[in-house]
Amino acid sequence: MNERQEQFPALLERLRPECEKIIAQYENPRSALLPIMQLFQEHEGFVSSEAMRAASEMLGVTPAVVESTVSFYTLLYRRPVGKYTVQVCRGLACTINGAEDVMRAFHEKLGVGHLETTPDGLVSYEEVECLAACDRATCAQVNLEFVYDLEPKRVDGMVTAMRTGAYAVAPRAQTEAPGRTWSLPRLGEVARGGRSAGAIGTESPDNAGGVGDEPGIIMLDRIVERGPSFYGATRERAVQEARDVVAVIEEEEGEGARAGH
Amino acid sequence: MPVTKVLTEGIGEVDLRSIEVYRKRGGYEQWKRALSSLKPEEVMEYADKSGLRGRGGAGFPTGKKWSFLPKNGKPRYLVCNSDEAEPGTFKDRMLIENVPHLVLEGMLLGAYGIGSHHAFIYIRGEFKDGYQVFARALDEARAAGFVGKNILSSGYDLEVTVHRGAGAYICGEETALLNSLEGKRGEPRLKPPFPAVEGLYGMPTVVNNVETLAYLVPVLARGWEWFAGAGTERSKGFKIVSVSGHVQRPGNYEVPLGTPVRELLDLAGGLRPGRTLKAIQPGGGSSACIFEEQLDLPYDYESLAKAGTMLGSGAVVVFDDTTDFVKAAYNLVRFFSHESCGQCTPCREGGHWLERVLERFVDGRGLRGDLDMMHRVSATITGINLCPLGDSIEPFLKSVLNRFPEQFEARIA
Amino acid sequence: MKLTVDGVELEVPKGTLLVEAARKVKQEIPIYCYHTKLGPAGLCRVCLVEIEGMPKLQIACNTQVTDGMVVRTRSEKADAGRAMVIELLLANHPLDCPICDKGGECDLQDYAMAYGRGMSDVVDPKERKPKAVDLGPTIVLDEERCVVCQRCVRFDDIIVRDAQLVVKDRGHRDIIATATGAPYRHYFTGNVTELCPVGALTSKTYRFKSRPWDLRRTQTSCTQCSVGCRQFVDVRYGKIMRTMTVAEDEAISDGWLCDRGRYNIGFYESPERLTQPLYKSDGRFIQIGWDDAFDLWATALRKAAARPASIGAIGGGRLTNEEAYVLQHLFRSLGTKNLDWRAGRQRQATPGARAGSIAEIETMQAILIAGEEPAELAPVFDLRIRKAVLRNGARVIHASDAARTLAELGSGVERAALIWDGVDLDLGRVLHERLAVIPNLRTYIVSEQPNARGAEAMGMLPEAGGRDTAAMLDDALAVISLFGVNPVRNAPASFGAREALERTPFVVVSELFMTQTAELATLILPATGAFEKSGTTTSFAGDLLSLTPSLQAPEGTLADLEMLVGLARALRIELPSREEVEAAVAQRATLPAEFGFGDVRYGKSYGDEGAPPRRLFSGGGTCLHDERIAVLVDSAEVPA
Repeated sequence: MNERQEQFPALLERLRPECEKIIAQYENPRSALLPIMQLFQEHEGFVSSEAMRAASEMLGVTPAVVESTVSFYTLLYRRPVGKYTVQVCRGLACTINGAEDVMRAFHEKLGVGHLETTPDGLVSYEEVECLAACDRATCAQVNLEFVYDLEPKRVDGMVTAMRTGAYAVAPRAQTEAPGRTWSLPRLGEVARGGRSAGAIGTESPDNAGGVGDEPGIIMLDRIVERGPSFYGATRERAVQEARDVVAVIEEEEGEGARAGH
Repeated sequence: MPVTKVLTEGIGEVDLRSIEVYRKRGGYEQWKRALSSLKPEEVMEYADKSGLRGRGGAGFPTGKKWSFLPKNGKPRYLVCNSDEAEPGTFKDRMLIENVPHLVLEGMLLGAYGIGSHHAFIYIRGEFKDGYQVFARALDEARAAGFVGKNILSSGYDLEVTVHRGAGAYICGEETALLNSLEGKRGEPRLKPPFPAVEGLYGMPTVVNNVETLAYLVPVLARGWEWFAGAGTERSKGFKIVSVSGHVQRPGNYEVPLGTPVRELLDLAGGLRPGRTLKAIQPGGGSSACIFEEQLDLPYDYESLAKAGTMLGSGAVVVFDDTTDFVKAAYNLVRFFSHESCGQCTPCREGGHWLERVLERFVDGRGLRGDLDMMHRVSATITGINLCPLGDSIEPFLKSVLNRFPEQFEARIA
Repeated sequence: MKLTVDGVELEVPKGTLLVEAARKVKQEIPIYCYHTKLGPAGLCRVCLVEIEGMPKLQIACNTQVTDGMVVRTRSEKADAGRAMVIELLLANHPLDCPICDKGGECDLQDYAMAYGRGMSDVVDPKERKPKAVDLGPTIVLDEERCVVCQRCVRFDDIIVRDAQLVVKDRGHRDIIATATGAPYRHYFTGNVTELCPVGALTSKTYRFKSRPWDLRRTQTSCTQCSVGCRQFVDVRYGKIMRTMTVAEDEAISDGWLCDRGRYNIGFYESPERLTQPLYKSDGRFIQIGWDDAFDLWATALRKAAARPASIGAIGGGRLTNEEAYVLQHLFRSLGTKNLDWRAGRQRQATPGARAGSIAEIETMQAILIAGEEPAELAPVFDLRIRKAVLRNGARVIHASDAARTLAELGSGVERAALIWDGVDLDLGRVLHERLAVIPNLRTYIVSEQPNARGAEAMGMLPEAGGRDTAAMLDDALAVISLFGVNPVRNAPASFGAREALERTPFVVVSELFMTQTAELATLILPATGAFEKSGTTTSFAGDLLSLTPSLQAPEGTLADLEMLVGLARALRIELPSREEVEAAVAQRATLPAEFGFGDVRYGKSYGDEGAPPRRLFSGGGTCLHDERIAVLVDSAEVPA
């Protein structure tokens, strides 16, 4: 358990009254999901799994539902990010007004690319969709504060100011060191259950034969159920065709082929 | 030049974020008047007769939208859509950041008009400033007694809740917005039922754009006749147009509808010296381009629709001869692919497929068959999606594929 | 409402969805996300049709028919839209049909063949997503094959009311997942493998085991609990591969199966199955033949028959109705009245005059539960309860005290269901009496043995002067015959079953496995399982269900009915004819209506101290003999 996790119960208790106030604003508690996640992100710097579990309990929805909802929104981070999130607009109006040069300047200055955090954990860099400041292209946001009329030559000064603590925008809370990216690797995200129930090894089949319908009927019924538009098949005709085919195969290949199937 | 200042009046001159300044200039008078001497139906009548159409993108007549609410005694909700994210659009942000009280008064009037006692404003997550400004304005208005229980002793209760988005373009679609407001993934809902019947919390709901609601204030102040007197026959009143791209003075310009596109271009200072016009996207990222020969088109809903494009959110992006239209097409298709909620197949898979193909074109690795494929796929997926996002991919792509085929062919490997 | 679909006129009720209406005229409209039980979602967009007067193609799944509607499911425009949707679904779908379990019964395969372009313009490599994701103890997910129809997500949300499977991320990055670190685990997970229209969700027990065209399919009833869901049993070359739901089974299962019913089938092939009669001699079991077994059994009974009260038989809850009937008939012929099906805690299985049907529960305003949760004893029935709560706002009240329950219920409740586990007779009696004020009260007893109600109806209850199970064990009879019951494990401690059986001179046990009770037997008779025999059983709600054999019984085993026939022959007792048995079963299928809850004829309650917890995956020894589902079995139940 890291320090953040140790302090989470205290944080939760501290924020609970505010959460309750948020919940009271809505006819249905679940509406408070985004505001509560935003509140926790403000304090922890990202939406921790502990925060999602707490929200799940407060709002009466399953943890999976909370995670699913949070994962939809790009401004909610499920992994730690830098103290500054730099988001350069990649909207069309900015792009045709030099945004790519600004981006290149950031790549060079920060040494990281889209969706990446600097190794010192200071800056998370991202290229985002139209920020609605097209009249001030190229625009960007640092910790959601607008930066207008951005030109490559200003990038150096901005980053230096962030590094020296002189930047005009306050840094975000950071309770855990960020990794290379906050964009989740897919494989790590999916659940790993308990020990696999697995499948037992395939034993050599015997030819005892069930007592059920003829082989192939499952597929056949699917086709016939679908009505005349599907190959114009009728069950009777299809059954007969299937029988013929099986008969031919069995004749050609003999019983041995079946046993070795 | 027909610059009109209605909603934009005073912006840049005085600090309309302060309730005192706003009130000194007649602010909240219409709200007081409505509460004291207008019936909700009368407010609705103003909205209807003014001919005010939705300023968010669809252009649906506001009065008609309100009239769809069933009279079933269920609680009703008004939701102000401030999730402005259509590429090229930056008018709603300007309004909530500069005239929050005007927006709020419009919301109050709208809520009163439909008989709602709880109104919400959904502010795009990126608009941190706008959120703070609006929240402060709401506090001021509440302190002044304009919001809350038994407002100005009228017996009318109206609560307003500010809700922040968290990064998703699709939440601008009204049913996705409602889902997001309910704490769900911002996925558009299957319609019917429409929000007027089953909206927020399953109750009758009206979702109106910021600009639409703000116009209610001057409509009430100056009369619906005044508003309807501006604009054209079916596109009445004014519109804030966000002009950006390759122009000298990009910005928001409020004009009567029907103003020729050429004049909008002039308002924005025209092209940069020595440049020639290649294309204009007249209604946001979802609209098809118009070209030099169409500059005299009146900027209104019908004329643009007739020209095969749309007015949309009123975002005019101007492209001069420096534009790489392959890159521009890639940019917008990538945008729609990135912002697809992923629910329905054509948008999720079609957008992504086109994005990947265009990415190859940008790198100069296009294939000959790709051009036909892009035409075929973008056309076929249009009209079969769950919501309008998937239908937004085709217009720009098609118009530049048709107009600038040489730019695409040059990228075929 | 009259409409025309592809030129065929038909009439359907108002509110019918076009996709359902088209089915009526056998005109298929392809669907992925739509499902009759889950309703329209409008996601896949493959059900596009052309409707006269509408400029755009419409989705049939969310279109209600209107009078005079003219619909074309196949037109140039509809075909083009549909072909596009299929082309798009295949853009990133791996073409791994040859190794995909769904191959041969895959909607994507079928529709691609029927409606697809037959070619694709996709030249870029397909998206890579995680494959073979271990979702939990039962299900494996292949994200690449997923078409994001969200049927599984909606099943968890709407039907199970426990949203564990969700969509994460957005757009083309969409994946199906559970909460991070949480396995997908509830009692109904297997249903998602059937809902999945492609091979994305597969059962661990069936993966890479078979092809649908190799399967022989039989429809039978599940005997894992007293609900008795219809199910298909699919067998490949004599080995059971899987079981599946029967969608048309509206009356019982509503088209679902629980994971116990679906997955607890591996025991049929367990090497631990008993396959030869065993006789205990000098404290050791020796293998004997069936003829010797019948002789030994008959001899013991004949010797004891001088004093019929020293003979007893217990069982029936795991037998068919026919077997239970013949069992009581044969032992009554020997003069004994000591007959009982009850070998655990349950005392009563027949819910009396106000018995409700399974489907009826959906219409209730209040559902009162006394005793064990229906989710544990009758899981698929519990889904109906959840449906009642979701659709009609029914209230679920745990009724352990009549007065408090009535107070909680309040007034104005017209329709209520009382669901009881049949254990505490006094509680049942009081609740039944006090709740009689509700105008439409329906009563249910969910049983711990699948055919408890049938056994009771067939007469496996002690008649006046006879002993019940507890008394039979208490008195230590001379010969006791047990059929598919395990009182040593399941009965309350007060029965002292182990000691009693140790004291009883001749104990006969018919079983599939060497249970704790079988170990104490003098004579063990290897029995066939439910999938290996035919007959009928009775659901807890009184439905007569048929069993159709789908497997060949292992050599050396006999069905209980065959055992009884063999015994009768050895005793030279004539049994009723097959026709007579069938007639008797039909006639007795439900007990006389006057049996109220806690009727005195059921004797007294014994409490449940010392009996193991009744959870879906605990009771019934078959779980312990199915290594494929070992992970589902409550850890406390796994023998050390």
